Amino acid sequence: MNKTSSRLAPAAEACAQPAIAFDGVRLDFGGKCVVDGLSFTVAPGEFACVVGPSGCGKTTLLRLVTGLLSPTRGEVRRLGVTVDGPSRDVAIVFQDYGRALLPWRTAAGNIALALEAMGVPRLARAERVAALLDKVGLAGHGDKYPAQLSGGMQQRVQIARCLAQGPRVLLMDEPFGALDALTRQALQDEIARLVRDSGATVLFVTHDLDEAIYLGDRVFALQANPGRLAEVIDVGLPRPRDQLRTREHPEFLRLRHVLFDHVQKTH
Amino acid sequence: MSNWSLRAGSVLVTLSILLLWQLVTTTGLVQPIFLPSPSSTFANLLRGLTRGDLLALTISTMERMIHGWTLASLGGILLGALIGLSQRARYWLTPTLELLRPLPASTLLPVGIALFGLHPNMLLGIIAFGAIWPVLLPTIHGFSAIDPRLREVAKNLGIGPLAFALKFGLPNALPDVTAGMRLSLTACLIITVVGEMITAQQGLGSTIIMAARSFRSTDLYGGIVLLGAVGAANNALLGLVERALTPWRRARA
Repeated sequence: MNKTSSRLAPAAEACAQPAIAFDGVRLDFGGKCVVDGLSFTVAPGEFACVVGPSGCGKTTLLRLVTGLLSPTRGEVRRLGVTVDGPSRDVAIVFQDYGRALLPWRTAAGNIALALEAMGVPRLARAERVAALLDKVGLAGHGDKYPAQLSGGMQQRVQIARCLAQGPRVLLMDEPFGALDALTRQALQDEIARLVRDSGATVLFVTHDLDEAIYLGDRVFALQANPGRLAEVIDVGLPRPRDQLRTREHPEFLRLRHVLFDHVQKTH
Repeated sequence: MSNWSLRAGSVLVTLSILLLWQLVTTTGLVQPIFLPSPSSTFANLLRGLTRGDLLALTISTMERMIHGWTLASLGGILLGALIGLSQRARYWLTPTLELLRPLPASTLLPVGIALFGLHPNMLLGIIAFGAIWPVLLPTIHGFSAIDPRLREVAKNLGIGPLAFALKFGLPNALPDVTAGMRLSLTACLIITVVGEMITAQQGLGSTIIMAARSFRSTDLYGGIVLLGAVGAANNALLGLVERALTPWRRARA
């Protein structure tokens, strides 16, 4: 796998093009304006979190990036190119891992699906699947079906399938929302590490303000009716972050106040 | 209750029914011409299978049934996949199918005879027509009722329509399809036997009706026992195939 080159390529373009760019985006759906006047950019390799009340268009935002939805007005660009449909450069991790995995395929089979879609030859697949299973801490669980895995493990399988695409943009839609607190923290640290290793740009939707600050380089706070950008917060916390020390950091607490006040105001 | 005692119970029930049958006949409660004793039925059956042409007749009936079933299954899966995957095909074909579905296959036999004559392939076509429904309907459902989230996954990965049908549609439909194929095989056996009776083609159906008409009751009951055994064996065999084809359904943490 030409991992190294795909890791370096976006970095070379870094100064030229933002990984994701929204330019005056408005989306009407079913006669209702879902999001309006969205303009922002995400730099290559940046970890951007999106928070906001329900109905503010967080998930819509992701779908606009995948190309499954097209803006009514304005333009969405990925790596400088106008989005006109799904691309394998973009991977998405859904919250409902139970529905996003193929129940009839083992963990290894689910990861291999992405490789099959990319036309990776059969012989090369097994090795790469094994490496990915290892990477997400599921070595030895490859031949288990999703129904035999815990929620956290199923979500790891989905993450591995997305990483198998070698995506330059990774979208995550409340990926840890359905997991228990401990699994959630473990996966937060893992995703931070995996993303740093892959160099992918991340747009991470969550309703957990702490999670957004803990993971993000920047946090976009949205406002509802219609969904629009209310505030952008720079997170200057040092990396790698630590579940205890980062969360006790005075800056973490300050940002938490800022975000919390904002959500209170707009809710 | 343990698995062992459940099995023992099922054997016990079967044996007591056979015993009751033997009692009813040996006490002379029913004339042997209407109901022969089980012992003479089985003796006659064994004789027919080993020395007579009963084995050849059974094989010819089973062959017809299996050919019809293969046609019904293939047709049901292909047509079902097409209708399940394409909304347009669903709109175009559903009304016709709903008109054809309630028709009993036996009523089509006279039509088939009138149009194509007593050709063996005509009977095969009728069997396939009558037995396609238990496969077709679950296949349509299995291919059309794929979780929207999985559709989204496929779209994001850029999976083409053929790969989608094979990797998402088929496995999603498989548990329903195999269950439908079991029902279809039973339907095939019924239509094959009725077809043989009506068209007098070589097989168990025609043998049974000839035995009944000439009051050879041991032959009649022997044929019926044989059909029951064929049906039960088919069902058991397909149950095993079904388990082997859908391993994920048994996978639990």
